[in-house]
Amino acid sequence: MHIARIQLSASALWGAVLVGLITVAAIVITNSSRAAAQSPPPIPHPVAGQEQCLVCHGSQGLKPFPAGHAAFDEKSCVTCHSTASAGVKAQDCINCHAEKPLSMNLTGGEKLSLYVDGAEYETSIHGGKLICTDCHNYSGASTTSGAGTLAIASEYAHPSRDVANKREYSLALYEVCKRCHFDNYTKTLDSVHYQVLARGDQSAPICTDCHGAHNVSAPSQPRSKTSQTCAGCHQSLYEQYATSVHGTALIHDNNSDVPVCTDCHKSHTIEDPRTAAFRLESVQICSGCHSNETIMQKYGISTRVVKTYLEDFHGATVALQTKDNKDIWVNEAVCTDCHGVHNIVAVDSPSSPVIKANLVNVCRNCHADATENFPSAWLSHYEPTVHKAPLVYFIRRFYWVLIPFIVVGLLAHIVIDLWRTITNRK
Amino acid sequence: MTVSELPATETPAKDSERDYFVRFKTSQRIEHIVLMVTFILLAVTGLAQKFYTAGWAEWLILHMGGISVTRLIHRIFAGVFTLSILYHFAYLFRAVFIKHSKLTMMPTVRDLRDVVNELRYSFGLADRPPRFGRFDYRQKFEYWGIIFGGLIIIISGAILMFPTAITLVLPGQVVPAAKEFHGNEATLAVIVIVIWHLYDVMFRPGIFPADTTIFTGKLSRKRMAEEHALEYAELTGATPDDERPASPPEAPGPAGQIAAGKSAETTG
Repeated sequence: MHIARIQLSASALWGAVLVGLITVAAIVITNSSRAAAQSPPPIPHPVAGQEQCLVCHGSQGLKPFPAGHAAFDEKSCVTCHSTASAGVKAQDCINCHAEKPLSMNLTGGEKLSLYVDGAEYETSIHGGKLICTDCHNYSGASTTSGAGTLAIASEYAHPSRDVANKREYSLALYEVCKRCHFDNYTKTLDSVHYQVLARGDQSAPICTDCHGAHNVSAPSQPRSKTSQTCAGCHQSLYEQYATSVHGTALIHDNNSDVPVCTDCHKSHTIEDPRTAAFRLESVQICSGCHSNETIMQKYGISTRVVKTYLEDFHGATVALQTKDNKDIWVNEAVCTDCHGVHNIVAVDSPSSPVIKANLVNVCRNCHADATENFPSAWLSHYEPTVHKAPLVYFIRRFYWVLIPFIVVGLLAHIVIDLWRTITNRK
Repeated sequence: MTVSELPATETPAKDSERDYFVRFKTSQRIEHIVLMVTFILLAVTGLAQKFYTAGWAEWLILHMGGISVTRLIHRIFAGVFTLSILYHFAYLFRAVFIKHSKLTMMPTVRDLRDVVNELRYSFGLADRPPRFGRFDYRQKFEYWGIIFGGLIIIISGAILMFPTAITLVLPGQVVPAAKEFHGNEATLAVIVIVIWHLYDVMFRPGIFPADTTIFTGKLSRKRMAEEHALEYAELTGATPDDERPASPPEAPGPAGQIAAGKSAETTG
């Protein structure tokens, strides 16, 4: 926290002397036996709402307490460390960074604005909890960089940043999120977005692209915000989604049951949806809601759709391949092959690909020579009944009677035969 | 399991001296082995698919190399099974229309009476069991079960394999109907084979551990006289005893044909 260049004014000098005297006096008064050289540093951030010091300052925390503190309990921090003059405050930085023209010329020619809207930050989810230096953690380095070197009027060091453009600046800085959000950061390392980034494509989204930086707010408040976030890059998919049965319910009715992007694609572990494995697992994504009786009965949708699918040839293949090698592409249809993906519409909508009039076209995607008769080979998620599929229903009933009848008959024959043999031997 | 061709190559004069009878030709024994192997493989690969959500079925499918390999095995042996049935029909055609063989596997009214008489004997209402010819009613039931069951299985299996072709002419519902037939008929066939056929040829008292006739072609004189008394009489000219023979007759009696006919009347 030390600095190279301090412009000592007279008042600062007197202030320092005063603080020093008070500190010395306090040590002498409160703990005359302790070595006088060490005064506990003040707590450099607000403590209101953050009384659980050990979350960050425990031995596993971001800023662990120094050796020798292990004996103190959480509540004792504030007995030695003062909170009154809470060190660095967000406002200290804002004092300068509220100046809109404040900017830095990057080596690539771009101008990085250094303006921060303090009010926006205070209303963000981190406002009042984190101060600037929690993320912009400038320990040690002590120079300014870029063409726009400013006279640093404060005591805070500004580090040298070797970045060519604004994107590189974001990429250099976004990993500070993991200091608190380590679990979610780790999840992103498995995501398709990180794969793109790892290939060297700097446009791949990082934390701040979805969550914002100084204006971070709860990502799914309201729920429609999530999908709008994705729309920032995936505009055409979002437009399909917005007209789908799920999207319209979300956007127009603020429906809390329909999926937003992250319900199917997950939020941080976003997989590549074009893989064989994702295709296989997509059935479980759909059935997550569509086999949930509580949700489905609100909309009069049968939860048997999953069962009937899995009992059929397509579903059985997919279910078995899911338990086998997931990297093998199955040709058999999954939910989305017939119903669509982002553009799913209600099955009774005239534009539905699976409504009777359109179904044969869907079948022909795979069964090229399918005739008009062909679609009814699939019972449309119905279980056979007298009305829906009488032929299938009566065959099933026939064997339902015949098989037990034959079993009982054969067993009776064997029992009688054995009984006769035993009787004959007596 | 076929139309009888009496072992004409054996000279009847020597029948009385042999201690066994040759019941099945080599081609028939091979036919049975082919049927047995294809049946087992089709049953294993098929039932595993029908009941794929069960733990054992899933285990089987994954250990056979996955669902696509399981289906491939099933379809290959379905082809073998179909060919063996076609061969059998060609054989029958030749036996019936060219060689004019005796149709010993044909169900008759007499078989129904045999069922009743077997039951009467079992419950002590008759003094002796019915006498059977070349094939008894149990064997006929199994044979015709395989013929009709096999046809259902083959036709429904073909529909399942070529759903687009069949719906060129038939309504779509025949496809799920074929699936219903296929799986249920197969389940029934496996149940009949496991419960009855295996009891009949393996676990039955006096037979255990196995009846080897279908593999060797040979049936002992003792069992021939007991289990196929009418055929035995016909072949040897022996008179069947009035009681079920406790031991093989030492010497064939005279006037076998007449005795056999008489026996048939009294039993019926």
